[in-house]
Amino acid sequence: MKRALLLLIASCAWSQSGIDVPAIGMIVDPSGSLRAVQGVAGNFLLGAPLAAGVLSAACSEQLCLAKTDSKILSATGQVDAPPGPAEFGFDRDTAVIFFPASQTFARWHDDTLELLDWAVDDAVLSIRVGDHGIEIALRRDWAGVTNGPVLLLKEGVLFATADELLLRHRDGSVLTFELTDAESITSLGPHYAAIRALDRTFVLRLEPEHEQLFLLPGSTP
Amino acid sequence: MKWIVILALLLPIAARAQIALYVINGSIATPAGAALDLGRIAAGDTVNTRLRIKNNGTSLANISRVSADGIGFTIDRLSVPFPIAPGSAQDVLLSFRATTPAVYNANVQVNSQINNVTAIAVVTVVNGPSLTVFPVCTGSDGPPPAIDFGRAQAGQLRLCNFYLQNTSAQPMPIATFQVTGSAFRISSGPKAPFIIAPGETTAFVIDFTPGAAGLYSGSLAIETRTFVLSGTAFDSPLPKPLLEFDSGPVQSAQQRRLTMRLPSAAPAAASGFLNLAFTPDTTLVTDDPAVVFLATGTRTLPFSVTQGGTQILISGQTSAMFQTGTSSGRIRFTLTGISTDGDPTTTLTIPPALLSFDTTTATRRTGNLDIQMIGFDNTYAAGAMVFTFFDTSGQALQPGAILADFTQAFRAFFSKTQAGSAFQVRVSFPVTGDTSGIAGVDMKLSNSAGTTTTHLTFK
Repeated sequence: MKRALLLLIASCAWSQSGIDVPAIGMIVDPSGSLRAVQGVAGNFLLGAPLAAGVLSAACSEQLCLAKTDSKILSATGQVDAPPGPAEFGFDRDTAVIFFPASQTFARWHDDTLELLDWAVDDAVLSIRVGDHGIEIALRRDWAGVTNGPVLLLKEGVLFATADELLLRHRDGSVLTFELTDAESITSLGPHYAAIRALDRTFVLRLEPEHEQLFLLPGSTP
Repeated sequence: MKWIVILALLLPIAARAQIALYVINGSIATPAGAALDLGRIAAGDTVNTRLRIKNNGTSLANISRVSADGIGFTIDRLSVPFPIAPGSAQDVLLSFRATTPAVYNANVQVNSQINNVTAIAVVTVVNGPSLTVFPVCTGSDGPPPAIDFGRAQAGQLRLCNFYLQNTSAQPMPIATFQVTGSAFRISSGPKAPFIIAPGETTAFVIDFTPGAAGLYSGSLAIETRTFVLSGTAFDSPLPKPLLEFDSGPVQSAQQRRLTMRLPSAAPAAASGFLNLAFTPDTTLVTDDPAVVFLATGTRTLPFSVTQGGTQILISGQTSAMFQTGTSSGRIRFTLTGISTDGDPTTTLTIPPALLSFDTTTATRRTGNLDIQMIGFDNTYAAGAMVFTFFDTSGQALQPGAILADFTQAFRAFFSKTQAGSAFQVRVSFPVTGDTSGIAGVDMKLSNSAGTTTTHLTFK
């Protein structure tokens, strides 16, 4: 009776918070511009350039960060950062960032950057901040598997060989997609990874049982 | 006294030099002199000569007369008087036509307040050959006389047959008989010089063989007459290209592959553009911007085929990917820039479909139950929703089905964004007290294609 009363009240007071075009994430296009990706699976729209001279970008469910040569940009501002590109590992509304040019780590939060006293003696391929700590994929760890890009995911790991893209789930199952010459893999958003291959940008939908590889429009000049 | 006489003689000479008459040939101006020989023309033909009246002096000249007095002569008279500033000039066109063989002359006169210029124009009219043009070409007497070879396929031969006749009572010597123009050639007929006897006829043929599409011109000179030759060439039509798609039913939110091939070998190399256009079924939007070729994010791609080939390359690739968008309607593929043996236009119909969701989530917050949906409605008619909440034992909670209608909100959103029908929306149900016993919700979401039923479990 109590629950019935509660929902009786709700039935008169439902509301919708506004209808929007679905946001998928952000990519760096071949010209170095940061662009929003909108739409649904198989139907992608690229937004207008939001920033130029962007070297790296990645998004989580709560946060998108972009790296220019000297700044880290967010939706709320920017902060000075070591030069060169960056690898992002998101942790809710903060991020652990690796700067390969200076081999330094930092933690980003609220448009501030705190350098971390961490050191690695190898190339960092990907960073993931999970419930049980921070995972870092190093080149030497993958030497027998691939020389290509690697992205650590909540679902497992996504990596590319010379002619394939492989999604290895945490249960050990592997999905394989035909894709040659992948150069980089980044987190496009909570449900997608972006894969740059030559002058094309592919997106892989990551949701379990809906994994599918798509091509982003306008990714070839 | 002697000096005075000399000066008196010089003055008219100096004065005559101020207004001068020239004959214009192309861009070259030649002083006309006392006699203007306009040459020989065939009876019935027209000869045009451009004359230039130039003020070589330092003072303004008022031209009071420009005339050509003689049978058959005309001049495009300007309204006189008119001024010519120092150093400036005015061109006029002197024309002549007569139908009777004879020598004709006219007194060409230009008067001004400074000096007058006169010249005698002379034309010899002779009996010219009569040219008969047979179809498929067409002739005109002009001026200038012309022969049009019409439209021909590039690389193909088009023949025109002619009769050349001497209609006079005297033998007609033909010293000049030649064709100019890269695509034109006399393929049969007499060789100059030759004589056409009175009343006789001789036949000849001119070939028009254009190498590529374009406009062609040339000339046919027969003694006193010159005919302008013209023709237009178009590319060889390709066999009607076949536009083919990867297998499977065509629906919204797909990325599809298009290939193009010819049913038989291309007769010549060809290139053009592959275009797509989209017409939505709904009137709420005028287009769906996601319907594009993926390679460029545009609606036009170049294509090409080599001579003898059947594979058509699109942007240099064997196929092209495109998105079908999120609107029911028709995607129309057309080819431009080539001639084809039949219209290759191909239309794909995107059928209306039930609401489709990429992501649906149900979450509890303090005081709220949130339902978020990300999907699309290719009918643009979404809005009617029914929610039924369940407890952990699967029993429907009171008051049962809760109806919500967001139709107007969806219509306003689609109309405003003009970005297809993809949407994300969150519906919140305010609740007081403990919501942990609410386990799930059934949703029925309707559009014009039907109703989609989804069950969500609260997290």
